[in-house]
Amino acid sequence: MSLYAIEKEHRCIIENLPQLGLLKSLGLREGINVAIKSKQPMGGPVIVQVGRRCVAIARDIAQEIQVREVN
Amino acid sequence: MDCHNKSPEVEVGKDTLKFLLMGNPNVGKSVVFSKLTGVEVLAANYTGTTVGYTKGKVRDLKQDGILIDVPGTYGLEATSEAEEVAVNFVKEGADAIICVLDATNLERNLNFALQLKKFDIPMIFVLNLVDVAEQQGVIIDAQALEEELEAPVIPTIAVRNVGLRDLLSAMGNVEKRQKEVCYTAEKELVEEEETRWKEIGRIVEKVQTLEEREPSLTEKLGYASMQPWPGIPLAILVLALVLGFVVGGGKAIRGALLLPFVYNIYEPAMTAFIGGFITEGTVVYNVLVGDYGVLIKIIEWPFALVLPYITLFYIALSTLEDSGYLPRIGVLMDGALRKIGVQGGSIVPFIMGYGCAIPAILGSKAATTHKERVIVASLVSLAVPCTAQTAAFFVLLGDESPWMLVGVYGLSILAMILGGAVLNRMLPGKVDPMLLEIPNLLKPDVKTVLQKIKIRVKHYLVEAQIPMALGILFAAIIAETGLIHGISDFLSPVVTGWLGLPGEAGLALMLGIVRRELAVLPLLDMNLSSLQIFTGATVALFYLPCLSVLAILIKEFKLKTGLAIAATTLIGAFLIGGVINQTVRFISGIL
Repeated sequence: MSLYAIEKEHRCIIENLPQLGLLKSLGLREGINVAIKSKQPMGGPVIVQVGRRCVAIARDIAQEIQVREVN
Repeated sequence: MDCHNKSPEVEVGKDTLKFLLMGNPNVGKSVVFSKLTGVEVLAANYTGTTVGYTKGKVRDLKQDGILIDVPGTYGLEATSEAEEVAVNFVKEGADAIICVLDATNLERNLNFALQLKKFDIPMIFVLNLVDVAEQQGVIIDAQALEEELEAPVIPTIAVRNVGLRDLLSAMGNVEKRQKEVCYTAEKELVEEEETRWKEIGRIVEKVQTLEEREPSLTEKLGYASMQPWPGIPLAILVLALVLGFVVGGGKAIRGALLLPFVYNIYEPAMTAFIGGFITEGTVVYNVLVGDYGVLIKIIEWPFALVLPYITLFYIALSTLEDSGYLPRIGVLMDGALRKIGVQGGSIVPFIMGYGCAIPAILGSKAATTHKERVIVASLVSLAVPCTAQTAAFFVLLGDESPWMLVGVYGLSILAMILGGAVLNRMLPGKVDPMLLEIPNLLKPDVKTVLQKIKIRVKHYLVEAQIPMALGILFAAIIAETGLIHGISDFLSPVVTGWLGLPGEAGLALMLGIVRRELAVLPLLDMNLSSLQIFTGATVALFYLPCLSVLAILIKEFKLKTGLAIAATTLIGAFLIGGVINQTVRFISGIL
């Protein structure tokens, strides 16, 4: 499923993500465990906690990130 | 293979050490830079404050040393303008790289550090923000990290000068190198990625201890402020408080302190003084102390009317910037902003634009596509009033009716929405989706904030006064010599016929080219009707950005785009102002 489909406060493991340099630099890579911290209205971004930091990811990108939910 | 085909951007003397200050965005490089060099740079708690580079001489160092504040980047793959600048600097080589690491986010910072280490340049690591890390329960063993990185690691709290002495002594041990660096690392960096992350995991495991801590109040607030509820009401509350602080505070200072001084003490004294050797009623006398008397207005306008608002606005802006709150507003607004061709992160240049359009236009460099940059710069030039103009609006409209103020600002927002939607359709290219790191919410350091306010107010006092003074002198001469009647006649089809303003309002339009607030302030003494005040304010709002902004637009976007933005604002101003005037007159004619 896509990262955008995960509900708030749920965790997931990233399985596959688009080849964007910035995504990797922000610490998002295959196999890491992230938590959804918030979802913004009007097609806005999701906020994902990676390690100790939060990153806002636009819907377009979040929909392309494949994840496996873990809880 | 030759990687030295370009001449270096920064040439240093034969015996001068060259230091590069590098690191991830928002780790405190600019703070370290201004502490080490004494060069005043504006830092803030969000990504992308430094988009060009700044260099300065290091103070209190044994040898001569030049420090270059390189824009912050997450990697060395040259995916954005800022990253290209950074990569070029590394390729040019240096005697040492000072790499700033954010102790609250060690893993990601090490990713950058390990990439940098591949370039055979001596390194000094600055482990900054150790205080914030500790509050969050993150303890890092600097000595163990030093062993892993095989280079000095200096824990610091840069805003409070902690650890900077140790950094200087480490920099003192650096030697001038003769060897040139030549390393084409991009390909290798990508291939090595897997191993690098494993290595990072191993280092972090070894040097970092995490303690479970109850989240602090600021952490809870940081979390709440990025949820639609209560984040959106909170954002509205914050903006309302800022507005109240600036408008209310400015009015109080102006009314209680500055205007009585100008009207009761300064003006009579100056008039009496000039009257002492120039006959009252002559042209020279009037130019100096008459209705538009340059010696009166030059104190009244910039200092008594505008300065209080500028100071209060920058107190609010600088505090918000350092708190890390602004990107949170960007996240909340992203969905809505995308509709006008801008992503949430660009809210920051918009907010800065309410201070001055110049840093806003320069700050728009952080936008990832050219299209988005042009949209941000155009909308800021068209519809965002700078603080100086805002102050003039408060005086002109606020004294008439607060609702007029609401009306003008409503128009400004409406114009941004419509303008953005149109530009988004018209301009080729795309706007990248948002991908933004949200900074820690921090309690701003009072000394640092005061320093920023000082830089900005000083900038207003120094940069704004010469054009302001020339503008006022020009106005005084035109008004007092009677030239104004000729100009009024010439402009009257537009000014009087279309906009419904008195002929002398043409003066405001002429002065508005020089500075934005000068398009408003001359209207103060003209006894205008409510409709005329509103029309005049609307024209001034959308009117040409000031000369300095025009220069920046042309410099950043080439002549054609710069002039196109200017022409659009000019046409927009007359069109919207005229439509308002004609519509209201038409309706009141029927009623």
